[in-house]
Amino acid sequence: MIVRRVLLSPLLLILAVTGQLAVVNRMPLPGGGGTPDLVLLVVAALGVTAGPMTGLLAGFAGGLALDVAPPGGHLAGEYALVFCLVGYACGRIRELVQGASAERSAITSLTVMALGVAAGEAGKAGLGLMVSDPNVTGPVIRHVVPAAVVYDLLLCPFVLWLVALVVGAPVTEHAPQVRFPQAFRWAPAFRLASAGAPPGLRLAGSSAPLVPPPVRSEPRLRLASGRSLFLSGTIPAFSTARPALSGGRPAKLNFSSSGRGNQLAGSSALRAARTANFQGKSPAKGWLRSGKQAGAAATTRRPNSPGKGWARGDIPTAPVRRPNSPPKGWVRPSRRASAQLGAWQQRSPGKGWARGPKPANGGPARRPGSPAKGWARTGRLSAPDSWRRRSPGKGWARTGLPTAPGSWHRQSPGKGWARTGLAVGPPSWHRQSPGKGWLRPAKPPAAPRVKSPGRGWLRPAKAAPAPRRKSPGKGWLHVAKPPKQNWYTRSPSTRWLRRGRRKRLLLGGRR
Amino acid sequence: LHQARWTRPVLVALLVIAIALITLDFRDGGDSSVHKLGADVFGPIERVAGDAASPFVGFFHAASGNDSGEIANLQKQNDQLRAELSQNQVSRADEAQLASLLRLASHRYRVVAASIIAAGGEYSDTVTIDAGSAQGVAPNETVLNGDGLVGTVTSVTSGTATVQLATDGGATVGVRTADTNQIGALTGTGGTMANTGDLRLTLFSATAVLHAGESLVTFGSVGGRPYMPGVPVGQIISVTSQPGALTQTALVQPYVDFSGLGVVGVAVPQSGNATTGKAAAHGKARK
Repeated sequence: MIVRRVLLSPLLLILAVTGQLAVVNRMPLPGGGGTPDLVLLVVAALGVTAGPMTGLLAGFAGGLALDVAPPGGHLAGEYALVFCLVGYACGRIRELVQGASAERSAITSLTVMALGVAAGEAGKAGLGLMVSDPNVTGPVIRHVVPAAVVYDLLLCPFVLWLVALVVGAPVTEHAPQVRFPQAFRWAPAFRLASAGAPPGLRLAGSSAPLVPPPVRSEPRLRLASGRSLFLSGTIPAFSTARPALSGGRPAKLNFSSSGRGNQLAGSSALRAARTANFQGKSPAKGWLRSGKQAGAAATTRRPNSPGKGWARGDIPTAPVRRPNSPPKGWVRPSRRASAQLGAWQQRSPGKGWARGPKPANGGPARRPGSPAKGWARTGRLSAPDSWRRRSPGKGWARTGLPTAPGSWHRQSPGKGWARTGLAVGPPSWHRQSPGKGWLRPAKPPAAPRVKSPGRGWLRPAKAAPAPRRKSPGKGWLHVAKPPKQNWYTRSPSTRWLRRGRRKRLLLGGRR
Repeated sequence: LHQARWTRPVLVALLVIAIALITLDFRDGGDSSVHKLGADVFGPIERVAGDAASPFVGFFHAASGNDSGEIANLQKQNDQLRAELSQNQVSRADEAQLASLLRLASHRYRVVAASIIAAGGEYSDTVTIDAGSAQGVAPNETVLNGDGLVGTVTSVTSGTATVQLATDGGATVGVRTADTNQIGALTGTGGTMANTGDLRLTLFSATAVLHAGESLVTFGSVGGRPYMPGVPVGQIISVTSQPGALTQTALVQPYVDFSGLGVVGVAVPQSGNATTGKAAAHGKARK
């Protein structure tokens, strides 16, 4: 695209200059003597579509060409100055207005371009006054500028369209849509039918599930060690913070979906956004699995999943995000991305918040005490598919993006803003995204200074820096010993302590 | 992208360059060598583009009568003949007077016909014609068409010439009234090409009386440059005597329809020297 720009922009400018001088200026157009300024239009359009750098270069070149081309009746450099500023301003304003979302809407581009063109016409007149051009006098300006601006505005859409076509930058550019499998599309319907509760949830106190759950056998949760203390340890910590689901009723998690929900909700929002190949790697011994698919969505997705019970992110992937995916026995507790999201991670789930292998036994949904406002929405979904769709996070949005060297990544998430990259529901929601739909990674809730809930309850603290280096990332938890695994030999590093000692170490390091 | 980092330095650099150009050009009175360079570069392009665009522009000039390419060609010849005829008539009528005034009797003019290939923007009444030094056109030569005075040549390249129209805000033409021989200066009002501006006449004599309807011809300059004498310019449409002003001023409507300019002639002085003869031969060969 760069090459195309470099080659075609000058051509466009030369065409505009000659067309302006040889055709447009010679036409006896009605209305006060103003003529449209093709060069100004092209410059503004280039700035809008191709950025401030292209805009200012094109502006300088085009303006200088108009200045020195034969019948130029004004000083050399006048139009170069004005057009240069216009091109730069158009690109910059467009970036500022739309840069945060990296989406382009034609309306905004057009508005910016129109403003730039009008400013350019005014600038031409103003500079002419400043250099005391005998032709630029008050009456002439009063006649010429309005007519010229009107002509320019009329031509704006066509020039913008043409320039976008030539330069190869789309005028309208939405964030990439995520392709959901068919089953995902049904998830909202199920959610609706179950009054907000995901299909895998049964509401406490309701005699029967509103939606007949799919036939399944007893959920099998294959925990690492299957120790009940591990599970029971979660109760005091989380049950109080159990989020109210829609309707204000606490949800009772079905165990099968809770296992999966935990795993997906807690750890794989981002991971699922990466793709199948990632998914293919990640499941290791320590991963939690639900023995059966929870819902229709999962059932359809099963053929692709690496194994029974594994959910698969459907988003086209970017690079393999986790080459150093944890070896067996490791679980990723928090939904967080790779190292690039370090800042985010620090803020987001908070200490002690990450949860991976801790299925609350029938306990709250996977995010009790959900930390942010933005999470209110997620709280009522627990089926992995729907949850994932709403899961925020920068890394989540980036997966589907065109990975062209464009500046999208650089510009896109504003500071402190995490982006829900996935269009949930109507695309219009997504398009307006820098507004409502943006989730702000909120401050972590105050770390609950509870006592360790029990034996086996680990806190993913920031302590133990040395082992962290070896760990797949911040926030990874070591799962308790897999049942029939020689966990000791498979530990990622000898520097990792075993559970009993590690707890002491972690808690100690926290102080 | 690395663009973002360099955008602002580049912007500043280009702005500085632009301001420097403006300054230089201002110092040189709008005639710095940059313009010459630009004319050399863009002249040929404009010749091609102007020729190619002529039918389209002619279509828009349909009201004025220039319709298609062939008609334009005929019009070209016609205009040339008319220009010569007009010149002859003017010359014959005023021969004695001119001779006594400026001793121009020995001057003969050859009219080089040229068509307009480009025009300046809304703030300058300048046009480019497709005849240049190769046709013998030189700066400060009078440009006219069948109706009257068009302007004067300001700069020349080998194939193109830039003409400052009489309506340009920077143009000042010495004129006299055809009947009473009152002399004055005619300045453009900066009216644009599309909006034919009227010219403003300022008489030199405080006692002279102007009447609406009087016609003006050029007074002439030394050596016929930049305006040769006797070319009809326009007609007084209204006389305004401002209180406190010493002399009368008048608004003059030019004979030439500046918005519909298609073909003009450049009056090239014919003297006996070799270079002009050669240029004339060139011009003939081209035609």
